[in-house]
Amino acid sequence: MDRALFAAASGMAAQQRNLETIADNLANAGVVGFKGSTQSFAELIAPGGRGLGTVALGTRVIFAQGKLSHGGGPFDLAIEGPGFFCLQDDTGHRAYSRDGEFSRAADGTLRNSQGYRLANVRIPSDALSASVGNDGSVRATFASGARAIGRIAIAEFAAPERLRAISGSLFEATRESGKPAEVPPGTRGGPKLHFGMLEESNVTIVDAMMQILTAQRAYEANAKGVQAADEMLRIANNLQRG
Amino acid sequence: MIAARTRLEIATENLANVSTDGFRRIDARGFMTSLGVAIARSRHGESGPLRHTGRDLDLAIIGGGAFRVADARGRVSETRAGGFIRGTDGTLRDAGGRVVLGLHGTLRVPAGAALDAREFGLPAGSRLRSGFLEAPAVDAISEMIDVLAAERSFESAEKAVAAIDAVRQRSADAARVK
Repeated sequence: MDRALFAAASGMAAQQRNLETIADNLANAGVVGFKGSTQSFAELIAPGGRGLGTVALGTRVIFAQGKLSHGGGPFDLAIEGPGFFCLQDDTGHRAYSRDGEFSRAADGTLRNSQGYRLANVRIPSDALSASVGNDGSVRATFASGARAIGRIAIAEFAAPERLRAISGSLFEATRESGKPAEVPPGTRGGPKLHFGMLEESNVTIVDAMMQILTAQRAYEANAKGVQAADEMLRIANNLQRG
Repeated sequence: MIAARTRLEIATENLANVSTDGFRRIDARGFMTSLGVAIARSRHGESGPLRHTGRDLDLAIIGGGAFRVADARGRVSETRAGGFIRGTDGTLRDAGGRVVLGLHGTLRVPAGAALDAREFGLPAGSRLRSGFLEAPAVDAISEMIDVLAAERSFESAEKAVAAIDAVRQRSADAARVK
C-alpha cells in the first residue's frame, strides 16, 4: 500500500506544480510579448522496473509566435519570426524581450515600461516623427527632410529555451543559451519588424482554463488514490480484532 | 488482499502519470493460481493520441520505436516523450536533461535542419511528426473506477479473512471443551 500511497502522492505534487505553471501563464496572458511555459513530467521507475508514480521535471518556455495586433502607442514594434529586442538598462545590464511597447524618453532613447532602453537607437530631439521599416531601419523626419538615424538589431540565440526569465517577458542570456547573435531583420526567411504593431502573449485564456480544469481533476483523482490506500491500510490494521 | 493491493498500486501509478507525455498505462490482469488470485502487469500496447503544441522540437513518433536518451552517467533509456530542447552545440536534450542519441552516438541537429526519423534510430515505417507530443495513454476515469474496485475487493477479502478466522476460532473453542 505504501507504494500506492507514494505514487498517488507524487501525482498530487506533480499536478500542484502543473497548476502553478498554468496559473503563471494565465496571470501573464495580457502581458505584451509574454511567452507561456509548460511543465514536463516523467514516470518514476524504481530499480527493477516497477513504477513509483511521476515527477515534475521543470518548465520550458514555448517561444511560439503570438498574435500581432495594432498597438496604438507612439513607438510600438513587433517581431514576426524568431529573435528578441536587445535591451539595456542604465547600469549596463543587458536583457532580451519580445515586448515592443516603447516610448521615447527625454534623452531620445526608446524605453520599455521597465526602463530598459532599446540598443543602438536614439531619436534626436529636433526630429518631428520617426518610423521603423520591416528591416529595422529607423527613419526620422526633420524640418529639413527625412533621413535614416539607425537600425534596430534582433538578437537570436542558439538555445533560446535556456534563457533565464527575469520578469514577465524579459529574459537574460545564460551560458547554456549561448551568446546573442545579432541578425538584421527583414532578410529572407528571417525575422521581420512591424512598426505600430504589438505581439500579444502566446497564452490563450481558453486553453489555460482547460488546462487548469484538467490539472485540478487530476489532482483530485490522485487525492482519491491516497484516500483509498489509506483506507486499505486502516482495514489491514483492524484485521486483528479482540 | 494482496491482489487488491497490487491493483491499487497499478491504478495509482497510472493516475499519477495522467499528465506524463509519452506514458502508456500499465494494464492489470488477474489470473487464478493454486493459492488464489495474482495480478500480472503489462505495458499497454497502444500509444496515446497526439497533442498539438506547434513547437518544432516537440516530436511525436508515429509507429513503433522510441527515442534513446543517455543521462549524465551514460545510462541509456528509452522514452516516447519527445519534448526536446536544443543546446548551443546542437545536441538535443529531453526535459530531464538527458541527451538524445541517434544512430551514431549523440545526435546533433543544427538550427534550421530538417529532422529525419532514421537518424533517431527508429524502426522502418515509423515517422516523426514535428509540433506534436504524444499525450499519455491513460484514462483517468477508468483508473478511478479501478481504485474504487480495488478498495472494495480489498474489503471483501478482509471479510473473507475475518470469516475464516471466526470459523477457526470456533473450532479451536470446540476442541478446548472436549
